[in-house]
Amino acid sequence: MRESSSAWVRNRNIVRHTPKTLGSVSQSVILGVLVLVVGLIYVTQGTKATSYDYELSKVENDIAKLEAEKEDLAVERARLTSIARSDSNEVAANMQVGQVAGYAE
Amino acid sequence: MNRIKVLKLGLYAVAAVILARLFFVQIIQKETWVAKAEAQHTLENTIKAKRGEIYMMDGSEPVVVVMNEKVYTVIVDPMVAEEAELKEAVFNENMKENLVAKLEEVLSDRTRRYMVVAKNVSRENALRIREAQPSGVWLQETTKRVYPEGTLAARTLGFVNADGEGQYGVEGALNAQLAGKDGLLKTVADVNQVALSIGDKNVKIPAEDGENVVLTIDRNIQAEVENILQKKMDEYGKDQASAVVMNPRTGEILAMANLPSYNPADYGNVESASLYINRVTEDPYEPASVCKAFTFATGIDLGVMTAESTYYNVDKIYIDGWPIENASKNGAGVRTMQYALNWSLNVGSIQALKWIGGDAENITEEGRKTLYDYYVNKFGLGEETGIELYEATGLIGDPVEGDGRDSLYANMTFGQNMLVTMIQVAAGYSAMINGGEYYAPTIVKGTIDTNGELVEKEKAGALRRVVSEDTSRQMREMLWGTRSSPRLLGIDQAGYFVGGKTGTAQVIRDGEYVMDESVATYVGFGGAEGEMPEYLAMVRIWKDGETTDAQKMALPVFSEISNYLIDYLKIKPKVE
Repeated sequence: MRESSSAWVRNRNIVRHTPKTLGSVSQSVILGVLVLVVGLIYVTQGTKATSYDYELSKVENDIAKLEAEKEDLAVERARLTSIARSDSNEVAANMQVGQVAGYAE
Repeated sequence: MNRIKVLKLGLYAVAAVILARLFFVQIIQKETWVAKAEAQHTLENTIKAKRGEIYMMDGSEPVVVVMNEKVYTVIVDPMVAEEAELKEAVFNENMKENLVAKLEEVLSDRTRRYMVVAKNVSRENALRIREAQPSGVWLQETTKRVYPEGTLAARTLGFVNADGEGQYGVEGALNAQLAGKDGLLKTVADVNQVALSIGDKNVKIPAEDGENVVLTIDRNIQAEVENILQKKMDEYGKDQASAVVMNPRTGEILAMANLPSYNPADYGNVESASLYINRVTEDPYEPASVCKAFTFATGIDLGVMTAESTYYNVDKIYIDGWPIENASKNGAGVRTMQYALNWSLNVGSIQALKWIGGDAENITEEGRKTLYDYYVNKFGLGEETGIELYEATGLIGDPVEGDGRDSLYANMTFGQNMLVTMIQVAAGYSAMINGGEYYAPTIVKGTIDTNGELVEKEKAGALRRVVSEDTSRQMREMLWGTRSSPRLLGIDQAGYFVGGKTGTAQVIRDGEYVMDESVATYVGFGGAEGEMPEYLAMVRIWKDGETTDAQKMALPVFSEISNYLIDYLKIKPKVE
């Protein structure tokens, strides 16, 4: 008896399965690319951090400079308002000495 | 053996040598190479702590009187420096005050690699040099102490030496508080020595800056006291003077002056190191008759005498075979203790000691012990007062041990044969006239916080009761009586209550008291009539080898200071 062969035919696997593997060259290239990418990321991050460090260093230098200027100004202010300075000041020297009045006798 | 094999063997041998070398470097010499590598890419800097500034009061506001300034030292490498560049950048008109070497010296020996050519160069001039970029020249940053008030209170403030250590005065005594603590920066750095945040061994310990200390000294009072001292020294031809002004109600020092002074910014430029000494706290001396008030206060406090108690005064008496005379002669007769204080009669103060000992005719051991107890344990004479400065103790003789105790203590009743500092006497007097409570003198008011605000230290309060309130009142009146006796009438402004006592001390030379040299002292206080005194001032003036009379020379100094203080402190007179 002849069975209909269409069922068999219909279900038969018409795709040929063959194992697909990367060759050794491709593997090496991909590995190399991955290492390169990771390396680049590392270098980029490192450079980024370093650039921040430079920026930080510049800001710190600016702060130090401004602080030094502030200190200079504070010293100058103290010198200008010192008693020694006002004693030798011409305007102060020409001021009339105050007279205390109104004490009970 | 074919050539391939030979080549192989050769390669193996080379590989073996390389491996051996690697093993040697990486395993055996690991520590050495790691250390070298770290040294190359590690930046290690001390973060210098900023030394605290010193403030004085200006009325109720603190004003800075000792500061820090960044300055630079210019260093030259003569081997590589260029003459033209040096002339333009360093050896120019702007730098003339800072140069410590001549251009010819730099050029004379080109084999040297290091030469300091300028010191204390301002930041402005340092920037000019940096911009000019002369070859073989570099700058070293350092900090200099700056004293905007010049010589004001120099012997109280002290100075900072080249190593950054405080010496003498406040700078020395409070060095730990002012100096702070250096920090540390240890980090990975690149070739430009820029600190990098990468690395897991970076260390940053911030510096702890020193505290900004505020003194109780009022710079206006300090300046005026120094002016008065200088004027009177010139007028009387004396070359040494010291003064201390304090608030007797709190122990706060308002002025502490010593002349001659020096410039602390140029502290090496003095004729003698004795100029560094603060004679108010570090120089024990015999204050003489100002101590009569301590003796009288002891007698009054014990209830054995009053201002009106009488004795028979003579010009000279003998104790232990030694003659003791009054400076004011022809005062024989029955006299009150007020009279004895007014005329500063030594025989009168010895009589007080006799009464203290319970025997009107003789000095007793009990009397000596009691006087010692009052002098040392109550008034604090011969003991450190606790002020935040270097202090000397002095010497108060034992009341029992040793020969000639009666003579010793007889002399001590009028302030001779004993050594005390001015600050001890001033603090003891304050206790005597402020109601009877002893306040340790203090020169530190507080600190300045990071917001620039004054943070006052906790007030210590009275340490002990010295005499009763009534004794204190009687002593104020006795000292006012002494000052306002007819011979001194009119020296104080009307409406004020000003009292005080002179002391003209004989000086020991070659083991003996001499008649041709003396030191003049005056201690006085003042305030409104009927009120507690608001200030106490002690003055000492002298010249080695000369007599200096307290009545003629120390008292007028006090009077000028007192009149200034009445105005400056805005003390209102009593109006009837």
